[in-house]
Amino acid sequence: MKNDISQQQESKINDSAEQKIGTDDHSANWQQLSPIAILYFTASSFKQIFSNAFYLIPVLALNYKSIIQHPYIWIPSILGLVAILIVFAVLSFKVYRFRLTDNNIEIRSGVISKKHLNLPFERVQNVKIEQPLYYRFSGHACLQLDTAGSAKNEAKIIALKLELAEKLKSQILQHTKQSKPIGESKFASSQTSPSNNTTETTLNTRSLSDLIIHGITSNRIWIFLGGLAPFFDDIATHIGDWANKLGMDFKALFSLQTHSMLEVGLYALSLTILIMLILVSFSVIGSIISFYGYTLNKLDDRYIRRSGLLTKHEVSMRLSRLQMVVRKQDWLDLILKRINLKFEQNSSIENSMNASAATNKIIVPSVKLNECQDLIDDAYPQNKLAQLINQQGFISISKRFIARNIVLIWMPIWIVASLICWFNHQAILILITTTLLALFSGLTVLRWRRWGIAQDQNFIYIRKGLIGVDYYCFPTFKVQQTKFLQTELMKRRELASVKFVLASGALKIPLISQELAFGLINDCLFKVESSKKSWM
Amino acid sequence: MPQSNFNNPMMDVADLPQIQELDKQRLSEKYASTNLKVGACVVLLLLIIAFILYFQPFIEVSQNIRQNLLFISSAIIIIVSLVVLLGYQADIRKSYTLRDLDIHYSSGLFFRKTVSQPITRIQHIELKRGPIDRKINLAKLQVFSAGGAMHTFEIPGLPLETAQQLRQYIIEHKDVTNHEK
Repeated sequence: MKNDISQQQESKINDSAEQKIGTDDHSANWQQLSPIAILYFTASSFKQIFSNAFYLIPVLALNYKSIIQHPYIWIPSILGLVAILIVFAVLSFKVYRFRLTDNNIEIRSGVISKKHLNLPFERVQNVKIEQPLYYRFSGHACLQLDTAGSAKNEAKIIALKLELAEKLKSQILQHTKQSKPIGESKFASSQTSPSNNTTETTLNTRSLSDLIIHGITSNRIWIFLGGLAPFFDDIATHIGDWANKLGMDFKALFSLQTHSMLEVGLYALSLTILIMLILVSFSVIGSIISFYGYTLNKLDDRYIRRSGLLTKHEVSMRLSRLQMVVRKQDWLDLILKRINLKFEQNSSIENSMNASAATNKIIVPSVKLNECQDLIDDAYPQNKLAQLINQQGFISISKRFIARNIVLIWMPIWIVASLICWFNHQAILILITTTLLALFSGLTVLRWRRWGIAQDQNFIYIRKGLIGVDYYCFPTFKVQQTKFLQTELMKRRELASVKFVLASGALKIPLISQELAFGLINDCLFKVESSKKSWM
Repeated sequence: MPQSNFNNPMMDVADLPQIQELDKQRLSEKYASTNLKVGACVVLLLLIIAFILYFQPFIEVSQNIRQNLLFISSAIIIIVSLVVLLGYQADIRKSYTLRDLDIHYSSGLFFRKTVSQPITRIQHIELKRGPIDRKINLAKLQVFSAGGAMHTFEIPGLPLETAQQLRQYIIEHKDVTNHEK
């Protein structure tokens, strides 16, 4: 959806930009990809089918015995599917054409529904180079161009020679720089010319041990376990058989007749630890695969993140596109004194594709406290986050938050659950629901303790969390919209909630004093409207 | 490098423009009353359907089912009428304010909220008019920012002329036209 405003701007930008990038060897003609792209098309449609077939897993899990018993059905059907995929990949490759002109890129693709994409360079938000494993031998890479708009306008040139991709990337980024606001572009051009564009300063690298720590602390293994649930029974019997072959007998091992209570307890404990260890190692492997060889570099005003063991990802972001810095610490991170630092940019890109969401954000996994503050200071030199954290400078939210959440959320659930138990003559279960109520009330208190807000001349800082603690810091002028929320009851107690909407998402701070809420919004609107600076 | 040569002198908060002192403009009177009429029509339609179902002579149904039908349909009708009446109460409390550099919209019956949209952050504007809006000459103003679809700023029930004036004002606003120069 374009409007009059942006079209006006566009034409202006086009005029100024055309002079810069003139003659080029690889322009004007429709080009075909190198045949290695067939591999890419096959792999991507394979991935798509798998992610769609995810919902079928429970069905397959229930029936898989009867499916396995009929190989003459499933073997040909799988072979047929693979054949269709390959044919489709070859066709996709055959119809795919791209063309580069002075300041835009055109891509024609699609076997069944034809697509023709025309993307002017100045609309490009972000340029990423991606190198899947199978491209590494032939030296190819994918060049992905993100736009501020919807996912449909996303361009991906599949299979370019790596050098060409790099060259094109610097060309496009050079182009976006041209279309910066006048004051800034003067500054940039006096400082840097295209020739010294190659000197990148490294801000941060992550060693293997850091990644192992990251794998342990960001353990997402319970999700994986949930997915495995239908197979538990089979897995258990398989493991039992396997252990029997090795000469171990679980039944005898855990029998209280042959062993003492202590022994059985120790066996059980060590078995649990063993399983946990295996599961954690999965998470560690995942972390290493996505973050291996992590470097965060800085080139002029751009941050470039490179990582990946199998598929090498590269994400670059201009500092001016940065919306918010998020500093996350879970409970394990608190113990190990590590932080996950995130640089968040426009989220309309991220929402569009769940798969690449993690690679789009610039995340620095498990950094040490001092490194983290250095990075934040580099991005936002005037921030006072460190002082605020040290001096407890955050303003807490009202204690009524505890009462409100317990009375309005947990109590009704508790009452309903208890009544259900009572009427089903399971009075003993009420004990459990009451314990749960106490637990959730305790968590509410923790949540209240974490929630806080602080503000200085340039930034707003929000602290929240449950057991861990997260800090959000954003420049006040980047706010897109503010919301003031108040119920009649809150009004009587002079309390209010405030929501700040940024291009990277919304942040809410509940139940602060009405005066503070008005002050925050007034100050925020003042800074947005008086600064005249673009949020991009 | 937005921060490097940034200089923003401290101001007394009391000197800032205050959003608690907004001069609130009502929406068109036709908006709330039309919504009420539409709601009343829906309730009436539901009543007719329930009536037909209850007294239909075509299919023989047991007394038990008839009783349940009576209970369910009256529950639905009571809930819908409540929603309509509360909606009316909410509608007459909606208001907006246009200031030089931003636009505000207040709504909500129990949960009062005021959304403030600085004009400089506006990406594009739409006027939306459904069939009923066209009949009674109203329009809904939608303002999009980079905050995403979840946070579209909307003012419903504006007289068409007012909506067009607002739209024109925003488009010609210096903060929007100077946006990326």
